[in-house]
Amino acid sequence: MRIVLVRRKKPLKYGGLVVALLSLLSGIFVFTIFAWLIGVNPYPVVETIVTTFIFPGVVKDFIILTLLGYALLIAFKGALWNIGAEGQMHMAFLASIYITLIVFFTTEKSLPFYISIGVILLSIVAAVAAGALWGGLAGVIKAYAGVDEVPVTLILNYIAYFIGDILVYGPFRGTYVYGYARTDLIPDPYKLSIPVQRQLSGNALIDTVTGYIVEFATYAVWIVALILVLIFTYWLLNKSNIGLRIKILGSNPDYLVSLGYDVRKTTVLTFMLSGAIAGLTAALYYHGSLYRIEYPLEYNTASYGYLAILVAWLSMLDVYLVPLSAYIVSAVILGSQRVSSLPSVREAFIRLQLGGAEMAFKLLMFGSILLAYSILRFIQDYELKVVS
Amino acid sequence: MIPQLDYIIDKILPAFVTFYLVSLGHSIFEKSGILNLAIDGVFFTGTGAALLGAILPIIYNIPISPPVMGVLVATLIAAILGLFMSSVLTFLPISHGAVGLSLQFFSYGVGIMLGYYVRLAYGTIYGVSFAREDVIYLSIVSLVIGVVLHLLIERTKIGAAIRAVGENPHSAAALGVRVMAIRIVAGMIGFALIGFGGALFILSWQRSWDVKLFTLGYGWLAFATALAAGRHPIVLIPVSLLFGGLVNSQTDIQSRLGIPADVAKLTPFLAALALMLTYSTTRLRRIFASPSSLGKPYYKEEKSI
Repeated sequence: MRIVLVRRKKPLKYGGLVVALLSLLSGIFVFTIFAWLIGVNPYPVVETIVTTFIFPGVVKDFIILTLLGYALLIAFKGALWNIGAEGQMHMAFLASIYITLIVFFTTEKSLPFYISIGVILLSIVAAVAAGALWGGLAGVIKAYAGVDEVPVTLILNYIAYFIGDILVYGPFRGTYVYGYARTDLIPDPYKLSIPVQRQLSGNALIDTVTGYIVEFATYAVWIVALILVLIFTYWLLNKSNIGLRIKILGSNPDYLVSLGYDVRKTTVLTFMLSGAIAGLTAALYYHGSLYRIEYPLEYNTASYGYLAILVAWLSMLDVYLVPLSAYIVSAVILGSQRVSSLPSVREAFIRLQLGGAEMAFKLLMFGSILLAYSILRFIQDYELKVVS
Repeated sequence: MIPQLDYIIDKILPAFVTFYLVSLGHSIFEKSGILNLAIDGVFFTGTGAALLGAILPIIYNIPISPPVMGVLVATLIAAILGLFMSSVLTFLPISHGAVGLSLQFFSYGVGIMLGYYVRLAYGTIYGVSFAREDVIYLSIVSLVIGVVLHLLIERTKIGAAIRAVGENPHSAAALGVRVMAIRIVAGMIGFALIGFGGALFILSWQRSWDVKLFTLGYGWLAFATALAAGRHPIVLIPVSLLFGGLVNSQTDIQSRLGIPADVAKLTPFLAALALMLTYSTTRLRRIFASPSSLGKPYYKEEKSI
């Protein structure tokens, strides 16, 4: 008797969604058992994890990770494992900072509408170009020198960090920073977030709903950009010639050659598109939430570039599932932060003589839920059978 | 003693041994066709496990040298993670990258759980670390391991099977290679070596451990080292010597040349990129190429049903 894996003859009904939710639930279940084993009361843990999925704080991470997920999706469709979204984002930050803090720096509290919009657009264009160039550099090295793209993009991340560090320590250091190694705050007229006043009603349900509305209103510009990027990615991958070339590059590069296209140019183009969206994300993040960058640069992006790799892979490279997996990843991050500061977790850690290491609980939760999720996704296309 | 020798023993060799073992393990693992993005996590688990292991002989009066016990525990725990990762990725057709990255975060957590108690209760770990001169023997041991693994990969049937599984698991299976068994062997050896390197990182090089260690990204640096040397156990020797030297002499380079710290930090990465670009123009490009099935999900069609 043995267990074998068989490909499903017909796809599961609502497979993508159902399997995603079931794998998520089993990940949470496995983690809860683990928490129970080390002496943490499981009830508040589950409650916190589940309520995080309807928690307004998820919205910001969700938007950024979805945007980056689409950036990486394009590269991954071409079987180009771009793990350099971090570096592409940082190069884009530097471009945006050059435009907003060096060229068009202002201490005015308000500027005419058309000037602010013009500067913001210019900054976004510069960021997109910088991201595309940094991505394109990896593409050129991959295509023309034949070096594997995984180490190249990883190394380019670190090179981007240190170039940024050198600049933030030197020419980009602000004049109003009290000796800290960081840039000035972005001038008020260039901010993209919309400040919204809010009064709590005391009713949990109403506050959750208004919380979502407030978050969506604050990041309204990001939402617009997200919808545009979604439409662009869908159009690119399903309706355009370039998208078809990228998909053929991913499945059978020899076929691309026999169709008369240049594999090298397609590789560079794919990387540039991927980097461009990462650059756009960086500009939006800088104008809408980050406002300045600080030395050392590695800590500015909260590892969005690496988390986005998870998002893209967890979506099984499906355009429609990218937002879902981005939502799951951002909820699990936030949930793990909330869980690790629960009183019951703290007590259990003190009992285990590990007081102060609640960070471990956070990492274990994040890792194990996503591990179970990424493993169980096979059920969508395959089934296990016992044969004698 | 001669000052140069002191410098080599104190600065170059500990860094060399760590980078060599970790990148060697990574190379063996990836030769079998599994993309290893969990390297930094496993490396950190190795450091935590080594710390716990080094304390055990003192607590339970085991007649074994504390640092040796640390190395044993670290390799054992890392090998278990390797067994898990390689068997799951061979049995199920799932994304290597997603599993690797999730496992990385998970093993960061495991590393903290293992090491934190010792960190709190004992603080300094000089007493359980390797002695200063031991690093010479450790270097010899790691070089022997490297040469043996090189011979294993190039000259034996198991080695040929590992390479075949990395190039094309389907053809290898058709020729009678048991893909699962071979990948498990490669995975366990590879991760055990990464754990060994992690153990030496704290017991011979740093001689201290902290929760925040995992944010430094030494595992990723070893990842770059392994690929800059084309996953070749012998070529890895000079490359990890160069990397270890560059990483550990940063402050000296900085003060001698009078350059900013960040420029000095940049040098190892530029060197790695330059190395990879250089050999891509020569014939080494073919020998150093990645296994063609690296990172591709493996699914064997069942013909019997």
